[in-house]
Amino acid sequence: MTTPTTTPVAEGLFAETAAGPRLLGSKCTTCETPYFPKAAICHNPNCNDSKLEDAEFGPHGKLWSYTVQYYPPPPPAKYDEPYKPYAIGLIDLPEGLRVLAQVSTVDPESTVGGADVELVIERLYTSPEGNEVTTFKFRQS
Amino acid sequence: MREVAVLGVGMHPWGKFADKSITDLSRTAVEAALKDANVAWPEIEAVSAASSRFSGGKGWGLNGNDIVEEMGSTGIPVYNLSAGCAAGGNAFNIGYTLVASGLYDKVLVFGAEKMPKGMIQTSGVEEETDPEYLRQVSVGMPGPAFWGMLCSQRMAEYGTTEEQLARIAVKAHDNAVHNEYARFRKKFTLEDVLNSNMVSYPLRLYEICPISDGAAAVVLCSAEEARKHTTDPVWVAASTVATYRYDDGIPRGLASVVPPARTHHSEAKLAVSKAFDDASLAPKDVSLVELQDNTVYYELAFPEEWGLCEPGEAESLVEKGETTPVGSLPINPSGGFLSFGEATTAMGVFQVCELAWQLRGEAGERQVPNAKVGLAQTLGLGGNGTATILKR
Repeated sequence: MTTPTTTPVAEGLFAETAAGPRLLGSKCTTCETPYFPKAAICHNPNCNDSKLEDAEFGPHGKLWSYTVQYYPPPPPAKYDEPYKPYAIGLIDLPEGLRVLAQVSTVDPESTVGGADVELVIERLYTSPEGNEVTTFKFRQS
Repeated sequence: MREVAVLGVGMHPWGKFADKSITDLSRTAVEAALKDANVAWPEIEAVSAASSRFSGGKGWGLNGNDIVEEMGSTGIPVYNLSAGCAAGGNAFNIGYTLVASGLYDKVLVFGAEKMPKGMIQTSGVEEETDPEYLRQVSVGMPGPAFWGMLCSQRMAEYGTTEEQLARIAVKAHDNAVHNEYARFRKKFTLEDVLNSNMVSYPLRLYEICPISDGAAAVVLCSAEEARKHTTDPVWVAASTVATYRYDDGIPRGLASVVPPARTHHSEAKLAVSKAFDDASLAPKDVSLVELQDNTVYYELAFPEEWGLCEPGEAESLVEKGETTPVGSLPINPSGGFLSFGEATTAMGVFQVCELAWQLRGEAGERQVPNAKVGLAQTLGLGGNGTATILKR
């Protein structure tokens, strides 16, 4: 019998740091444009000197808007069976980044647009082998 | 650039056709457009086709080559245009440009689809370097969730009600009852729509378009050719293509910048604004609009983004019936995507067919009275937007 492991849904997107969970992205030091995930060059057409450095974003944000996903998403998305609706939001971070993420709530219908939210790393689903696959979410406080 | 006329239009009805191939649908539409134009196939000098990811085209989106083989290979140039759901609009734009530039006098534009079963996966690429793929695996978020988020933000900002959303779907089906090419031709009541399942809050099943099979074709020609056929042609006043701006507030992958102001659907807005400029026309000149109503939300958002109404005004236009064919701002008299279902790459061409019928006064019970100027718009994966203005 193997021990269940925890694996991120994708490498290099998020990390549990000493200061808490963070999104891993980058920022152009010339024009201050933030990127998540990391970008190789600055995409701002008005920036004439692309200088990207690694940057961590979070944990605080504001829910710009949200929806509740009432039906199971088609592949390649994965979820625990039986499917339970969850909220998805657009979260504005003070760093100038608007991020798409699931909103972690007990009841997705209690989600409130404009609410303060905080980055968390939580289970997205458990694989058939028993591995817990995690992703970044924002929890409504 | 030369003036370009829409000489003929034709469609295969929209629906699900298990017993027909995409070539069957395409041929029906092309033959109808040629007949409408009174042009024989060998007179066509070039083809501009929408590339499909789902059907035909030898798996490479070579849908234009398929129709040339079917109709008879005459050696003409074929352009296959790929732009997601905006491909029909892109194909129209290239067809228009080929005639306007003086390169060819008669060009066929067409788009056709046989859609697979179930929800569309927006991206066909399963790699973590693909932003769409990354979004789907890490957030579990299909396309309609975008519309839900944008719509719920609008509700919070303008107080849009669920009944107002449902009213848009009711209007779409009221129009489609009179369109022999529509897939769903029965009336829906407000209760029917409001009782349909919630899909992505606040949008319900009947407030989101399904997918369909369909095909549409258009014959474009020079002014000189047009005048041989008719004294009163339908003219292409403008045809434009745009892509989204980097500071657009709708993330295409996992994130975008927080936009400086309300900047959404910039690809559509840029295409429509340029079309008005190119045509020397203003929003007030528009007799009718065929816009991409994948969801009722777009009928509220697009008119104000394009200057057809004031911000927050669209809800009251819907309530007063101003967006019906006899209102002050008729939107989707065809019945739109909600009544047809989306045959993705054919939609930009289908819209042109409806505008042409409306401007000729041939739209029957769904006719917009005294239609002189029609605007059509598409939006596609990758941040592609197109706009077409026809006038008479």
